[in-house]
Amino acid sequence: MSRDGWRKKASEDDGWGGRGGYMAAKISKLEEQFQKDAPREKQKDGTSSCIFSGVAIYVNGYTDPSADELRRLMMLHGGQFHLYYTRSKTTHIIATNLPNSKIQELKGEKVVRPEWITDSIKAGCQLSYVQYQLYAKQKSLNFTSICARGKQDLSSTNDPFKPNPSHPHIIEEDAERPRVNGIHDGDDDDACALLPRGSQDTSLTNGYVHPVNGALKPQDSFAEHSPHVVDIGSHQSHLPQTESRDREEPSCSSAGSKSNFHQRSLISTASPAKQPGLHSMQKDLHPKPTSNPGTSAAPQKGNLHDQTRVRLNGSYHMTPNSSNLADSSHQPGRSGKGAEAGVISEFFSHSRLHHISTWRNEFSEYVNALQSRRRAAGGAVFSGKEKLKKLKANCSSGILSLWFMFVRQSCILHVDMDCFFVSVGIRHRPDLIGKPVAVTSNRGPGRVAQRPGSNPQLEFQYYQRKQKQYRKDGDLEMTPSPQCEEVPSNGVDLDLAALSMAEIASCSYEARQAGVRNGMFFGRAKQLCPDLQSVPYDFQAYKEVALSMYETLASYTHNIEALSCDEALVDATNLLVELGVTPDDLARAIREDIKEKTGCSASVGMGSNILLARMATRKAKPNGQYFLRSEEVDDFIRDQPVSSLPGVGRSMSSKLTSLRVSTCGDLQQLSISRLQREFGPRTGQMLFRFCRGLYDRPVRSEKERKSVSAEMNYNIRFTQVEEAETFLTNLSMEVQKRLEGAGLRGRRITLKVMVRKPGAPVEPAKYGGHGICDNFARSVSLAQPTDSGQLIAAEAIKLFHAMKLDVKDMRGVGLQVQQLEGSHADPSGQGPSRGRSIKDLLLAKQPAHSPKKDPLAPQGWSSVIRTGFFKSSPGLSCRVLDLTLVKHTYCKGGLHHPHTLNHVRTCLNVSIEVPSPSQVDQSVLEALPVDIRKQVEQSWRHREEQPSTSSHLSTPPRTSSSPPPGPSLGTLVLQLPNQLGQPCTTGFILELPDFSQVDPDVFAALPRELQEELCSAYRNKGNTQAHVQAQSSAGDPHKKLFPGNSPAKSSPSKTLPLPLKQPGLKTENVQCPSSSSTDVPETLSKFNPRPVPTLAGAYEFSDIRTLLREWVTTISEPMEEDILQVVKFCTELVEDKDLEKLYLVIKYMKRLMQQSSESVWSMAFDFILDNVQVVVQQTYGSTLKIT
Amino acid sequence: MATLTRQDLNFGQVVADILCEFLEVAIHLILYVRDVYPSGIFQKRKKYNVPVQMSCHPDLNQYIQDTLHCVKPLIEKNEAEKVVVVIMDKEHRPVERFVFEISQPPLLSISSETLLSHVEQLLRAIILKISVCDAVLDNNPPGCTFTVLVHTREAATRNMEKVQVIKDFPWIVADEQEVHMEEAKLIPLKTMTSDILKMQLYVEEKTQKT
Repeated sequence: MSRDGWRKKASEDDGWGGRGGYMAAKISKLEEQFQKDAPREKQKDGTSSCIFSGVAIYVNGYTDPSADELRRLMMLHGGQFHLYYTRSKTTHIIATNLPNSKIQELKGEKVVRPEWITDSIKAGCQLSYVQYQLYAKQKSLNFTSICARGKQDLSSTNDPFKPNPSHPHIIEEDAERPRVNGIHDGDDDDACALLPRGSQDTSLTNGYVHPVNGALKPQDSFAEHSPHVVDIGSHQSHLPQTESRDREEPSCSSAGSKSNFHQRSLISTASPAKQPGLHSMQKDLHPKPTSNPGTSAAPQKGNLHDQTRVRLNGSYHMTPNSSNLADSSHQPGRSGKGAEAGVISEFFSHSRLHHISTWRNEFSEYVNALQSRRRAAGGAVFSGKEKLKKLKANCSSGILSLWFMFVRQSCILHVDMDCFFVSVGIRHRPDLIGKPVAVTSNRGPGRVAQRPGSNPQLEFQYYQRKQKQYRKDGDLEMTPSPQCEEVPSNGVDLDLAALSMAEIASCSYEARQAGVRNGMFFGRAKQLCPDLQSVPYDFQAYKEVALSMYETLASYTHNIEALSCDEALVDATNLLVELGVTPDDLARAIREDIKEKTGCSASVGMGSNILLARMATRKAKPNGQYFLRSEEVDDFIRDQPVSSLPGVGRSMSSKLTSLRVSTCGDLQQLSISRLQREFGPRTGQMLFRFCRGLYDRPVRSEKERKSVSAEMNYNIRFTQVEEAETFLTNLSMEVQKRLEGAGLRGRRITLKVMVRKPGAPVEPAKYGGHGICDNFARSVSLAQPTDSGQLIAAEAIKLFHAMKLDVKDMRGVGLQVQQLEGSHADPSGQGPSRGRSIKDLLLAKQPAHSPKKDPLAPQGWSSVIRTGFFKSSPGLSCRVLDLTLVKHTYCKGGLHHPHTLNHVRTCLNVSIEVPSPSQVDQSVLEALPVDIRKQVEQSWRHREEQPSTSSHLSTPPRTSSSPPPGPSLGTLVLQLPNQLGQPCTTGFILELPDFSQVDPDVFAALPRELQEELCSAYRNKGNTQAHVQAQSSAGDPHKKLFPGNSPAKSSPSKTLPLPLKQPGLKTENVQCPSSSSTDVPETLSKFNPRPVPTLAGAYEFSDIRTLLREWVTTISEPMEEDILQVVKFCTELVEDKDLEKLYLVIKYMKRLMQQSSESVWSMAFDFILDNVQVVVQQTYGSTLKIT
Repeated sequence: MATLTRQDLNFGQVVADILCEFLEVAIHLILYVRDVYPSGIFQKRKKYNVPVQMSCHPDLNQYIQDTLHCVKPLIEKNEAEKVVVVIMDKEHRPVERFVFEISQPPLLSISSETLLSHVEQLLRAIILKISVCDAVLDNNPPGCTFTVLVHTREAATRNMEKVQVIKDFPWIVADEQEVHMEEAKLIPLKTMTSDILKMQLYVEEKTQKT
């Protein structure tokens, strides 16, 4: 962005400019007049001074005193009065009332009430105009760069200053700011007067931004930083002599052109708004959350030492491996490792990270739920608020009215429980109060034996080296500072390697005094503080306390953002206005409430933005509250260590240390360009703003998640590839769980693996830890967002194999799903019937059956599905039948054209074979409707009458009048592979239709349990398929359908052994009403990687042709089964949307069969064609054109 | 092409690009082959290494382009099920429907074997089929017009409203008579299957065209 560009535009557009030669002449003449008049006026009045020297005012609109009077006063007191506004020369605009549009135009200017002049004269010196600003939040350059994001649409002409590292003008502008600061003495050392003495200068408040580039330093120091700083002196008073002062930099002759900038006013948000109308406008201009550096900077790249916690957005975040859990750390012999089944869920059920992360979501959702409930109810009762209101009523209102001046600006409360884990842990243990307490998994003496294979020293050295590396990155030479020498570890010393490495999740303030820190290894802490008591984790209690904290907050307002289980942000701006209480009152009330309800103390920090509120919390702790007033911000923040800024973790602070930056004040001295060079554009800007107390993110209760992940780098020791795969599968399930919990689906899957660094000890110092590792990550994008663990697992395993790692060296595995979008769950949709692809659908329920159970997964399946069908058959529609019958029924029933519903039903019933009595679960039978039960029993009787050794006994339970034309083809066929008399152990073979043939509507209409059963069956089918294919390639005789006359009614690939009678049969399935949820997986049949339709194994058209030719030429009379098989194949082709092949096949058959001497073949062709046409008609609405 | 990596690609977009390019060629060719416009406005061009016919009429070209521009977002999201070129007689009764039935695999993953040239081969086959389809189709009555229909999956139409390009060139719900033809015969022309896309082209032809 070119500054000159917009500036020019601004002067053209804003209506204040547009001065031609005439105007210029007129203005200068007026000025002359004014100068001439001034001495006269002074003489006349006698009380002259020079307090306004350098000030040039322009009076806009009605003022009291009047413009004339002001002109006179300015004459008397050394100021200038402009009759016409000149952006370059006028320093102040005097007005008591401005229309909105003018405010927009004048956003960059100092608009001051006339009292400023009168009061200044009264006081005998030029007062800071800040208190007299007409409206708050006038433009201050950097401030608007944040808050004006939202305003830009309103005011395009006055584009706010945007930090642009490459542009020198920025620096100029920054440099001149101190001058504009309302302090004017024409002296050369005036810049020194502006040295950060904060308190003397009331305008150094929040919102006001410190000059970047050393402008607050003594002048001799800026020359080296920025040559542009020099013309500081000239900017205020445009007198020639001041320009001559700019001797340090001869090149600054451009002062004239820069004079445009001079009137940029310096503002502070602190100044109370006097005009409610204006104020409300400004409030509306809520800064847009353009960036959230606090969170975006969280992943600390290259910081291998993530065993310790990473300060993330103010909340403590631990990588899973840091939660060294009691159960595992106390079993040194156990080598369960990640591969063991159930470890993951166990891990996550104990992991503190996991708890924190899930809770945070939960509380976010809790807050959301509250808000939506309130919206629904049209208002909510805030008990806490009411209480406070009453309290306030008793109060005198004297202070309150005063406060009204302040409430205009936003006020954020940061509520943070004091050492949450500890205070919850000891709230029922008064004996521990006041003692050093740490929450950790280790309860022993803090010493453990060193395990073979570990080499803590080496790791220690590694981290130390790593630490030094950061410093080398800086171009400054290394400066030995105390911090530099500090080892960035958890306090591991070489000789302490044998100490317990269980980390301290939280420690009390007493323990902190002894030097114990959160995240420190317990062994080390115990050394520092021998009295240290350890308290175990108590997740249930944490949850309770956290919940009651949120309830408390919600009783005041619903404008809450959940940060973690023990931290929340509250936007109290409106609340305070409404109640008319001070932030301190509110904070006190909240804290008392929390203390009362939870027994734990909370600290509250208050500030005008989130950052400041959080910083205030630091000061408030423990058990206190602190309101960081806007006017105190600058002083306050200057002394804050940089590490207290969100997003500044160890790696960044050590880098900053290398730049000789330890406090925010130091940081303020760095230019934005420098910061951006060092840390990248985003982070640089973030730091630049943060160290000035600027933060533009509003409190938001709903936070968009960027990714969902599960990661485990504790106790990962695989020996076999299979273990790793199993682990990935389990991890995927965890991810799925989280995705489902968040109602999200992701498109991009990233597998992150930590691999032991070559040369690193096999066993790390920390038991089960990952030690020194290299991190690898790979990702893949899916076409469709998914939350299916199975799908994720498949991709993850693929990625894993692509990485070609030695599983033995794996130390950590993480799965992350990004590019999230909400799973468009139908309101009514639940469970598997959400709008997913069928694959998801079919796979989603996998976790219910753990892999080892897979062979048995379809327990009770056949009877369940059978009963389900029985149940639905009485009143069913054709569509329901479609589920099982799919299109195959058409082939089968093709003889009886057209297909009535009745006929279809017949087919269904025919295709169901009633199992022998021994194989029917009695409870299921009993649960059946009476008529159906009767039928089943009847069929048994019927069977006894005609004992058959046929392996395909078909007993139509209902319509014996229409016997099946033959064993049915693709549908639900319960085959009896065993001889009847034998107790059937292998059970029935149930043939499932292909996925694609499942009518989605029908599927959705099925009871949920049934759907799940189907899903698992299909899943199983997929599992067996590979096996079957191997079989078929080995020359399974059944596959050889054509010329041989084998009864190829079922290709093995379609069969599924389903033990019928199972102890765990779910009888309730029968009762389950066929809840017809309407949300249908729309793309059900479209998207499944289905096997290519084959005709007796043939798949290429040439093979099919050969097969057909052989069939037609060698056999005089076609078997009916074979014909049906061909029809089935053709049907599959239609399903597969391979009409072309179908067309070719049909045409080829037509030629073959109609040429054949036997008329049977011609009939066969007609039969096939009829059937195919029906399917095509049904699918495409028209029939094939066969010429 | 060689530098395309998995990560950089937005598969949906790539597929949509390829497909829309193809559809444009195909529509021009269909219009030519089916004599919807006088052959004089067509020019011979080369695409997919085979000769194709492309209209030189700017308005027609613009219309086709605009149409496909709006189809693209749908394909990107895998929301278009069919793209249909309907040829209608003077009375606006459809006589032929060229149906491009599109399905994208659920897991778009481009392996190293997925070369664009392979896809182009498949597309070329379809183009060739179109250019000879008059052999299996009856002649159209004179004075035919054409229109393009898109069959979307369920909720796509709702989302369509939000896409700017579609807003600029909005779709209308097709007339029932355009969608359904009575006594139609179906003539499959070509099916292609590749990693990124599965598509088949068939023609529905009215039995009695006159």
